[in-house]
Amino acid sequence: MKRAIRVTVNRTEHVLSVEPCETLLDLLRNHLNLTGAKLGCDQQVCGACTVLLDGLPVSSCTVLAVDVDARQVLSIEGLAEGQELHPIQHAFLRHSAFQCAYCTPGMIMAIKALQDQVPRANDDQIRHFLAGNICRCGCHVEILEVARAILGTPSTPPREVLP
Amino acid sequence: MPLRSFEYIEPASVSEACQILGDYPEEARICAGGTSLLLLMKQSIVRPRYLVNIKKIPRLCYIENDGAMVRIGALTTHHDLEVSPLIAQCFPPIAETEHEIANVRVRSVGTVGGNLGFAEPLTDLPPMFMALDASVKIENAKQSRLIPLGTLFVGHYETILEPGELITEVQISRTPKSFGLKYLRFSAGSDKPAVGCAVSVTLDDSTGVCSNARVVLGCVAPTPLRVEASEALLVGREFRPQLAEQAARVASEACSPLEDIRGSEQYKRDIVKILTARAVTGAFEHAKRLS
Repeated sequence: MKRAIRVTVNRTEHVLSVEPCETLLDLLRNHLNLTGAKLGCDQQVCGACTVLLDGLPVSSCTVLAVDVDARQVLSIEGLAEGQELHPIQHAFLRHSAFQCAYCTPGMIMAIKALQDQVPRANDDQIRHFLAGNICRCGCHVEILEVARAILGTPSTPPREVLP
Repeated sequence: MPLRSFEYIEPASVSEACQILGDYPEEARICAGGTSLLLLMKQSIVRPRYLVNIKKIPRLCYIENDGAMVRIGALTTHHDLEVSPLIAQCFPPIAETEHEIANVRVRSVGTVGGNLGFAEPLTDLPPMFMALDASVKIENAKQSRLIPLGTLFVGHYETILEPGELITEVQISRTPKSFGLKYLRFSAGSDKPAVGCAVSVTLDDSTGVCSNARVVLGCVAPTPLRVEASEALLVGREFRPQLAEQAARVASEACSPLEDIRGSEQYKRDIVKILTARAVTGAFEHAKRLS
């Protein structure tokens, strides 16, 4: 049976009628036509569906839509101010931090969460925080450059891996 | 895969939740963070008719210290433990481990109560909590009971919870002055751990002799495994590297790891031996720093 929920998405309040088996990703894509967040692995591993729920990053593929009643969601569509892209979006363009770009909306939201939680993150903290967002095209070096640029982090060479 | 349909129930209190769970023992499943349950539901491995979301129940998310005891509410998330100043101060290994569990998104959502109640063998919190002699509070619609955490687990994904019962709190009593805890895990990146080992020791302030010890292995048996034979080796002794190695050898023989993509049985035994020796050493060092 459908349930009515009241949810704030990208600073706009919506009253929606959702099935209990729908996910937050279904809510964004099918009810609100916000198709930035992508379905990837469907098991919280790849990060393509990352959005912020009450300020914290979540896998929208594995959060129930009914569960976001009375809560705040921020998706990639909520970052730009009118026609002006968010600094993280500009940095992605400047560093060409994508090829196919399927992971990009999730990656940008993860960097936004990192910026909010650890505003002066060092290189290790960036790598650790973003470890759960996967780019199959292999643009991780450029994505790391974006995060460094946004957070003002000096680049340090990766730690040597012991044999 | 999309979720199959189910009926969704949102109880407003613990007693209401327990009533529903008692009414539908076979058909209802508790959903807290849902990070594990929803994945099994997507694969149709678990097909509940009623999904009981307990997240709207007030006053189940807290980390408190009343001096005698730290209490952790069942809906406390991994992220809450990771960033809690209280946890960082009282049990640094818990905060450090929480930083490594899964990924940031799972940590935002997954809960302590869900982690324990799901009884997933490949997980980190139970061995650590058991090395701290933690208890769990279990409630039904009428009353509550307190049990040692070690007695909660029966087997893979199985607990002693009766129909109509809900885990509501973890309690950890204040630890003695010269108490050391070390937890080590072995995992590939964001994967579940392949092996975990928690060791705690209490030392005599003046002599440095171990008066109490816990050695608890995770991931290498159907439930978290307390290795009393290793503990017995440590009690009454001062730290020596050979002692750590002896306790580690006993632990590696006591466990029963399953071969999977994370390693063969022998490989995991070898890892148990290495982690246990290091965790014993680390627990003694931690305790000595505090004495």
